[in-house]
Amino acid sequence: MSDIPASTATGTRVRHRRSYNQKRRDMVSGYLYISPFYILFAIFGVFPIFFTFYLSFFKWDGLGAMTPVGMRNFELLVTDPKFWKAVTNTILLGLMGTLPQLFVALPLAFLLNSAFVRFRGLFQTLYFMPNITSIVAVAIVFSTIFTNTDYGLANYVIKQFGGEGLIWGSHKWGVKIAVAFMVFWRWTGYNAVIYLAGLQSIPNELYEAARIDGATWFQQLRYVSVPLLRPFIMFTVVISTIGALQLFTEPYVYLGRGFGDQGMTIVMYLFRYAFINYNMGYASATAVLLFFMVVTFSILNTWLVSRRNRV
Amino acid sequence: MRHRVKTFFMMWLSLILVFTLAACGGSGGGKKDASEPSPSGSSAQPSQSPSGETVELTFWHFGQTNYEELAREYEAAHPNVKIKLTSTESGAHHDNLFNALSAGAGAPDIAMVDVGHIERYRPAQDRFHNLYDLGAKDVQAEYLDWKWAIAENADGSFLFGLPTDIGPTAMFYRVDLFEQAGLPTDPAEVAAKLNTWDAFVQAAKDFTAKTGKPFVDLPELLFNAIRDQGDKQWFEPSGEFIGGSNEQLKRAFLTAAQGIQEGWVGSVAMWSPEWNAGMENGDFAVVLGPAWMAGYIKSQAPNSAGKWRVTDMPEGAGNWGGSYMMLPKEGKHPEIAFDFIKWLVSPENQLKSFQSHGLFPSAVKVYDMDGFKNFTDSYFGDQNTAEVFMRAAQKVKKVWFGPLWDSANNTAYNNGLRKILAEKNLNPEQVWNDVIKEISDTVERQ
Repeated sequence: MSDIPASTATGTRVRHRRSYNQKRRDMVSGYLYISPFYILFAIFGVFPIFFTFYLSFFKWDGLGAMTPVGMRNFELLVTDPKFWKAVTNTILLGLMGTLPQLFVALPLAFLLNSAFVRFRGLFQTLYFMPNITSIVAVAIVFSTIFTNTDYGLANYVIKQFGGEGLIWGSHKWGVKIAVAFMVFWRWTGYNAVIYLAGLQSIPNELYEAARIDGATWFQQLRYVSVPLLRPFIMFTVVISTIGALQLFTEPYVYLGRGFGDQGMTIVMYLFRYAFINYNMGYASATAVLLFFMVVTFSILNTWLVSRRNRV
Repeated sequence: MRHRVKTFFMMWLSLILVFTLAACGGSGGGKKDASEPSPSGSSAQPSQSPSGETVELTFWHFGQTNYEELAREYEAAHPNVKIKLTSTESGAHHDNLFNALSAGAGAPDIAMVDVGHIERYRPAQDRFHNLYDLGAKDVQAEYLDWKWAIAENADGSFLFGLPTDIGPTAMFYRVDLFEQAGLPTDPAEVAAKLNTWDAFVQAAKDFTAKTGKPFVDLPELLFNAIRDQGDKQWFEPSGEFIGGSNEQLKRAFLTAAQGIQEGWVGSVAMWSPEWNAGMENGDFAVVLGPAWMAGYIKSQAPNSAGKWRVTDMPEGAGNWGGSYMMLPKEGKHPEIAFDFIKWLVSPENQLKSFQSHGLFPSAVKVYDMDGFKNFTDSYFGDQNTAEVFMRAAQKVKKVWFGPLWDSANNTAYNNGLRKILAEKNLNPEQVWNDVIKEISDTVERQ
């Protein structure tokens, strides 16, 4: 690498140079060690993100020539009632499937953390299990529960109460209940485990002090756990909001490639334009708009959560 | 030191650039390799490469076929040709091919493409060899017209692929349930009694009144059956959307909607566990499906052997499924590859594919061959099912699909028929108008 022959240098210079080379070698090897992640991330993460922004100003079927269309994709998108239908569905599913998780996960974590629960490790594992279960298996089980026929579990229960069975895959609320149920089932344990980690970081003395002061189970949760869990709650709220806005896997495995409006989330809408209509530019514009929605919601959330806790 | 870091970052960034540009570089290379084949070179000894060296062909396929054995047979007869087969699940197979074509690198010499995916590749005409330039005209007469026409471009000057198998549609029905409802059970008598859709609807109503079960399994297959009997589908070759004026489509939709509202069309989803179980348990009497559905019914309802039969659908037939052999332009030996696929889909080999894997032949000569004519299926009570599908194959209409065909059907199924299924009191005419409006909105958005 060096253009100065070593023989012309003095002894001190050589030593200096050697240590300098060593430093550089260390640096190079350091970067080489971390490079696999960054190279892969650049190719499969950074590049597609920027390409999506670029693509949103084009009309492209994935194979032919790319035609620049300016803001047309965005104009069509915001004037499409189907898109706003997808936005509404996504928010409804977020309220039905994601929001309840946060309320259930916290008491659940609190219970798991309490001393009187036996086989705690087992329960932790069981609650986390849905999150790592093969999504294909989940889809089969849930589509059997929420099936149109009379012998599906959901319809059976409804009939026991004297109701009439639903066409779950296409009924306005049926499909939302089924998908929200799946989301709830899959992610509650995940949030509970995060809260549990937070609870375990709270020193036991605080609870002891509370108990000595006569605090009840609920008061301990309300005045000791929740305030100290604030950063964890913030984290789960933001992550869950992002997850809810990007909801795709659950409705997709439940409904498949062919789906009606009732179960169409924003990402399902995007998927339809990209991989059924082969309109990559339009789908990219949807992704860009979703990106800004996620940013807005995240900022709003962070602001709300931090404000509420300050009061 | 800072300077060094900067230099290193520059190196790192260029490395990434190299990676990302590699994809673009491929397309340039691909174009360079695409030498125009000389039409004269195709007929003379095509398997002899000029230098006499061994030529390796890559061949991507999917599904259950005998193409591996046939490729070995071809290699034995042509020692200088090696064929490397890669079998992938259909969805991934078509995505891989799409990505390779889009990137301009990585496509095989030979690719099998399902008719349901062919519209995706149409815009990439420049990335395929025109089989008409390789001598495909010589064998055109051996294949069904409508099958051949789908692989042509809009003006008929370009041929994407050679026909493999087809999926002509017919009516599968359960003898035990037909008997229970007092309907005829012999295939010929059933076909004679249910010779129009009106007669079919009447029989369906009677059946449901007597048995309490739906007659037809699900709305989509009834819609498809009537849709495919029309001279046109959703689009014109010009791209114009004609769904709103196509009376056959409307008839298909309203008939299926009527079935839903009157209860003689079932509500299960296609490919769902309930659909599969219904075939075995006899939850419905009729499946309007293609030739390959015979294999599916057998696998899902093994204990119902002898209870199912096949006969002609009322008023005609359609097609669902079947494939083509295409030659992506990256392939450097189009003449040799063409010689192989021409041999692979020849009538003699289509008969073998039919006998070993039930791939229904598109080469008309096969219909007169002994191994085909004498075919009986013990599952279907020793009926000659091939004869039914052969009649159907000859009734299929030559139609144009268009790139949004799949999307249009999806809308009709899921925002149309399934919507009525969920809310039975909707007005079908109104729902149909909404479906048409929605599809034309999608068309405008393209």
